[in-house]
Amino acid sequence: MLRQGGKSTSFVSGNKKSVHTTFENGSELVEEYDLRTDELLVRKRRTKTTLGGEGKWEYLVGDAPVHFNPDVSTIAESSSNPIFSRKDTERHFQWRIRNLPYSADNYDVSVDHSDNKVVIRTKNKKYYKRIEIPEMKLLEASLVEGALSWHHANNTLVVSYQKPSEVVDLEIKDKAERRKIKTTKDDGDVQCNQQ
Amino acid sequence: MAGVKTTPEIKEITKIERIGAHSHIRGLGLDDTLEARAVSQGMVGQKDARRAAGVILKMIQAGQIAGRAILLAGQPGTGKTAIAMGMSKALGEETPFAMMAASEIFSLEMSKTEALSQAFRKAIGVRIKEETEIIEGEVVEIEIDRPAATGSAAKTGKVTLKTTEMETIYDLGQKMIESLQKEKVQAGDVIAIDKASGRISKLGRSFARSRDYDAMGPATKFVQCPEGELQKRKEVVHVVTLHEIDVINSRSQGFLALFAGDTGEIRSEVREQIDGKVAEWREEGKADIVPGVLFIDEVHMLDIECFSFLNRALENDLAPIVVVATNRGITKIRGTNYKSPHGIPIDLLDRLLIIQTKPYSEEELRLIIDIRCEEEDVEMSDDAKELLTKIGTETSLRYAMQLITASYLISKRRKVAEVDIEDVSKAYSLFCDVQRSSQFLKEYASDYMFNEIKATGDAQPMES
Repeated sequence: MLRQGGKSTSFVSGNKKSVHTTFENGSELVEEYDLRTDELLVRKRRTKTTLGGEGKWEYLVGDAPVHFNPDVSTIAESSSNPIFSRKDTERHFQWRIRNLPYSADNYDVSVDHSDNKVVIRTKNKKYYKRIEIPEMKLLEASLVEGALSWHHANNTLVVSYQKPSEVVDLEIKDKAERRKIKTTKDDGDVQCNQQ
Repeated sequence: MAGVKTTPEIKEITKIERIGAHSHIRGLGLDDTLEARAVSQGMVGQKDARRAAGVILKMIQAGQIAGRAILLAGQPGTGKTAIAMGMSKALGEETPFAMMAASEIFSLEMSKTEALSQAFRKAIGVRIKEETEIIEGEVVEIEIDRPAATGSAAKTGKVTLKTTEMETIYDLGQKMIESLQKEKVQAGDVIAIDKASGRISKLGRSFARSRDYDAMGPATKFVQCPEGELQKRKEVVHVVTLHEIDVINSRSQGFLALFAGDTGEIRSEVREQIDGKVAEWREEGKADIVPGVLFIDEVHMLDIECFSFLNRALENDLAPIVVVATNRGITKIRGTNYKSPHGIPIDLLDRLLIIQTKPYSEEELRLIIDIRCEEEDVEMSDDAKELLTKIGTETSLRYAMQLITASYLISKRRKVAEVDIEDVSKAYSLFCDVQRSSQFLKEYASDYMFNEIKATGDAQPMES
C-alpha cells in the first residue's frame, strides 16, 4: 500500500526478493521479502533533501545496519542502548525493543491522540519513544487504545497494535499486485570466465 | 641495570587560532553615519577609502543591486586586503564572502572560466529552510579515553545525553571528540548536535546545575532540560551558496559516486537547472537570495580572457558584488601586448568604482604597530616603537611588522619582559629590507651565479 503512485521493479537475489519503487518526487522505497515464506524482512525509504542531495534511508521495517567508524563517523548510538525495530505479523503491527532490562512494571505504553502516535514511556526515565505508523497515516485512521497490547520478556519489550481490517485487506491486495510485477533473477555471483 | 622506562607526558592541546597578517581586523571601523573613526576595529587611517567601502557595504546589505564591481587600487602595504577583510567582517557570517587570489584560477584541473564561475557562485547565498536530524539533550557524562601508549592509536569516547524522558549513550567519532573538546562541553551542559554535519551548538547549562558552586562567567545561560525524544527532526534556516547546491546536485548518484573523485567541472545544464529551481523557490517564498561579495586579490594576474568573462558575468542578475584589488600602475594586460591602467582593460575599468588607498602617515604607522604588537602579544617600549615607525616610513610597513616578532624573540634571549630599542636594531641588522638587499645585490652582482658573461643589450622581458 505504500507503493501506490510509484513505479516498481523487482528482482530476486539469493533467497530474497527485492521490490524497488521510485516516486515522481525522487523518493524511493525498497522492500525485501523472504522467497520461501513471503515474509517482509526490510522496508526502507528515502527522500531527496531540499537541496537535491540524497537523504538517508529510513527503516520502516527491519533493522538498520550500523556503520560506525570512529575515524570518520561523527556520532552514533552505542550498541548498549535499547534497539528499536519493527517486524509485523499478519494481524499485528509489531515493534520490538531489545536490550531493555527493566522489569515489566516500569513501562507505560499508550496512544497519544494529539499526533496519532504510540508512545512508550519508562518510569525510570531511561527510554522514550514515539512511534508513527505510516500505514495508518496514509489511511488517515486514528489509533485506538483497544488495539494496543504489549508484554515484556527476555529483556525485550514487544508492542503490538492490531491491524484494522482495511489494512489487512489492502495488504492482501498488495500481495497480489506484487506477484504481477515482473521479476528478474539477479544471481549475485555470475560466472565470470577469465581467459 | 635496566633503565627506568618513562612514558612521556601527554599534553592536550586546544587549538588556537594562528595570528595572520590581518587577524586584528574586526570591521571597517565606521560609525552609524558611515564616518570613519580614526582608530577602530583594528583599522587605522585610510579614511576616504574606508568611507567609500562603507557606502559599498550599505549597497550590499540592501541586496538590490547586482553586478557592481569595485576596484581597490593602491601601493603595496596600504591596506587593500585589510579593507576587504574589514568588509567581510562587517557583513557578518550570513553574507557569503568568497576570497581568492587571481593566480588561483590557473589550475590544470579546471578551465579558467570554470574556476571563475565557481568563485562567482560561491559568493551568492540562498537562505532556505531545511529539515535536519538533531540530537538535543543535557550531557550526563562525557568520557574520552586516550590510548595508553603515545602515538597512533585513536581516541575513543562516549557521551551520555538525557532529556526529561530518556537517556542514551552515544559513541563518538574522532571529529566529534575534537569539537566537543574545543567547545569545552562538560556534564550539565545542554547541547544540540547536527547529526549529519556533526556541528555542535551549546544551548546553555541545565537549571538542575544552577546550584553548583562552579566558577562560571556572567554570560552563562541556564536552560530547561529538553523534553521528549533525544533525536528530533527540526527545520532550520541556513544560508548555502549556489556553488554548494551545484556540488550536491552534480555528484554522480548511486554506486558511481564511489568512483567519482572531486567534482571538477560542473556542467552548465546542472547550473541552469539549479538557477531555475532557485527562481522557483523564490517565487514560492521558500528561499531568499543573499548576494555576497567576491573578492579577487592581485587582479592584474587575470588575463584578457578572464576580463572579458568578468564583463559578461557581471551582467548576470545573480552576480555578486565583485571587489578586486591591485597594486599595479599602468602595466601590460596579461595575455596581450597592450598597456592599460592597473593592467585591466578599459571596458572593464569603466564598470568599476575605483577606491584609492594612500600610503600611511607616520602617526598612522605608529598606531598600526601598536595594534600589531597587541595582536602578537608583544610588550614593546615606546622608544622601540618609535624606531619601528621610523623603519616603517623609510622601508615599508610590512617589513616593520615582520620585525615585531623577530625582535620579540631576540629580546626573549635576554630574558626581559619588554622589547627594547636594542632588540629592534639587532633584528634590523639581522634581516635585510628590500632596499638594503637590492643595494647589496647591486654591489656584489658579479659574484653571483650566471654573471660570468656580461649580458649584451636589453634583456627580453619575460612573457607571461
